Amino acid sequence: AGRQVPAKALRSFSNVTKHDNYSEELADLTTKRSKLHEQLLKSDLTWKKIVKFVNDNLEKKDHQSVNGDLKTILQSAKQIVGAENVQEAIESGAVFLFKTFHMKECVGHDETKAIKQMFGPFPSSSATAACNATCRIASHFTEEQLTALIQMVEEQNGDNRVFFGKNVVFSFDMHDLDRCEELPINGEVDAQKIISLDY
Amino acid sequence: MPALPLDELQLTEKDPKTGKLRTFPALHPEIKADRFFVLYKPPPNIRNHALVEEFLERAKFIADDLDWLLALPHNKFWCQVIFDETLQKCLDSYLCYVPRKFDALLDFHPEVNDMQKRLHRCVFLTFLRMSTHKESKDHFITPSVFGEILYNNFLFDIPKILDLCVLFGKGNGPLLQKMIENIFTQQPSYYSDLNETVPTILQVFDNVLQKCGLQCEGTSAEPQKLEERVKVTPADLPLQELKDIVLFLCDTCISLWAFLDVFPLACQTFQKHDFCYRLASFYELIIPELESAIRKRRCEDNSLLTDLWRRLSHSRKKVMEVFHILTNQICLQPILESSCENIQPFIEDFLQIFTSVLQERRFLRDYDELYPVADDVSLLQQASSTLYPLLSASGLSTVF
Repeated sequence: AGRQVPAKALRSFSNVTKHDNYSEELADLTTKRSKLHEQLLKSDLTWKKIVKFVNDNLEKKDHQSVNGDLKTILQSAKQIVGAENVQEAIESGAVFLFKTFHMKECVGHDETKAIKQMFGPFPSSSATAACNATCRIASHFTEEQLTALIQMVEEQNGDNRVFFGKNVVFSFDMHDLDRCEELPINGEVDAQKIISLDY
Repeated sequence: MPALPLDELQLTEKDPKTGKLRTFPALHPEIKADRFFVLYKPPPNIRNHALVEEFLERAKFIADDLDWLLALPHNKFWCQVIFDETLQKCLDSYLCYVPRKFDALLDFHPEVNDMQKRLHRCVFLTFLRMSTHKESKDHFITPSVFGEILYNNFLFDIPKILDLCVLFGKGNGPLLQKMIENIFTQQPSYYSDLNETVPTILQVFDNVLQKCGLQCEGTSAEPQKLEERVKVTPADLPLQELKDIVLFLCDTCISLWAFLDVFPLACQTFQKHDFCYRLASFYELIIPELESAIRKRRCEDNSLLTDLWRRLSHSRKKVMEVFHILTNQICLQPILESSCENIQPFIEDFLQIFTSVLQERRFLRDYDELYPVADDVSLLQQASSTLYPLLSASGLSTVF
């Protein structure tokens, strides 16, 4: 139920506003989740780019173990995204897991929420396996290298631009009720204070 | 070469299908990203884990999307704002449903509070960017076109402006004042909308009076059968109905005051509808009755009655403040700022307003307590030697 504010009355009864019908947006969370899936599939950071980055920047002796970890991430993505999905969807899931865990040591509350939000309920053991594998891969690189990998793509997407209003000093203070006199308990009206106009 | 305004700017790009270069306006629906903004819903007022999680998910979607929007370059921002209906609905739903601080106290989870704060800032910055036609020396929109864009796409309308004042007027008043002044300056049609809005606000007053059985005779459009005339007073109303009326009254008074406090230039438009008189008359009818109705209910929910009393007292004060802003803006400020030859019409307006409310005794008493009318009269006397005869003629000098 909406608030009974005068602005709401104006929205309902005046001709100065657009009359929107919100009933069709009841399933908007579901629509939003599918949009995010689409965006994930279109992401510039692909699984192939991650694999190439890892192989290009590591010595040959580390390749075997790291390739094992990459396979683990892909396998976990398959379990989280759903094995019935096409390879493209599974790889984009693996990218998501890599991005989520590349700076983390364990699956925390935020990570759990992010994965659940993207893919729905998932086996926690798969997330743990992906996290551990990502950690092992990440241990071969500096923080700067990993950030460069993720940001290189984000800059191409324009996500690293100047945020409008970042220097605006914003106050969270809101109008509140004033302190006022207590509810009188005698129930009497203060008659003597009324101005007399009998001149 | 000087930069062109966004509304005149043309972009050139290679058509991905044909490979040929093509030119199109910088403000074009094709530039809009396929983003999908979800609607805002208020936090749950019960500590239900699933509902809290759903709120947080929804709020994070909105905050992330608004962060993305605010980071867009100038032309992409405006394409999104103009052509993305889901964004407009999202912003509108926030203004409608975000809890006000003066709403019933809700005990939210700390994570919910943090998310609310993040959202609150993002929403404000989005409206700030939408009310700015010149972002930098290279990024701007022709002022008249900017006014058309705002108005024709309902990016701002009077209800939204009222909500913005209630939500952001306290902490961000000076910036909000600039925003709203700029909107009205670049698009004067908003004054016409405001003019159309005032009768609706007055109708809101009448509806409240009607619900309380206090509507003045002759104001109802429908003739009433004699046998239907059952006298209802606020004292007879069920507690829930009384509560609804007081909450509505409180919201109305705060909204009006918050708007006029931020944008006093609207006062002239309000007074075109004899607003001062209508406000005083409304106060005179409703306040004593509601006070009495709350006082008499001794055996009911005491904490609710205390809350209602507090809201009623706050409403009273806001009515006084609205009346003061109106008289100050319409009469007193021009007198203080004008030369002696030009002040006569403003003095006459002042006397007309106060003469019209002379019969509203309770209102005058309360107003005078907060804003002594004698001080205003003294100011007028100092400003004009012709005041005293006018005051005597109006009868005001004997009252104050």
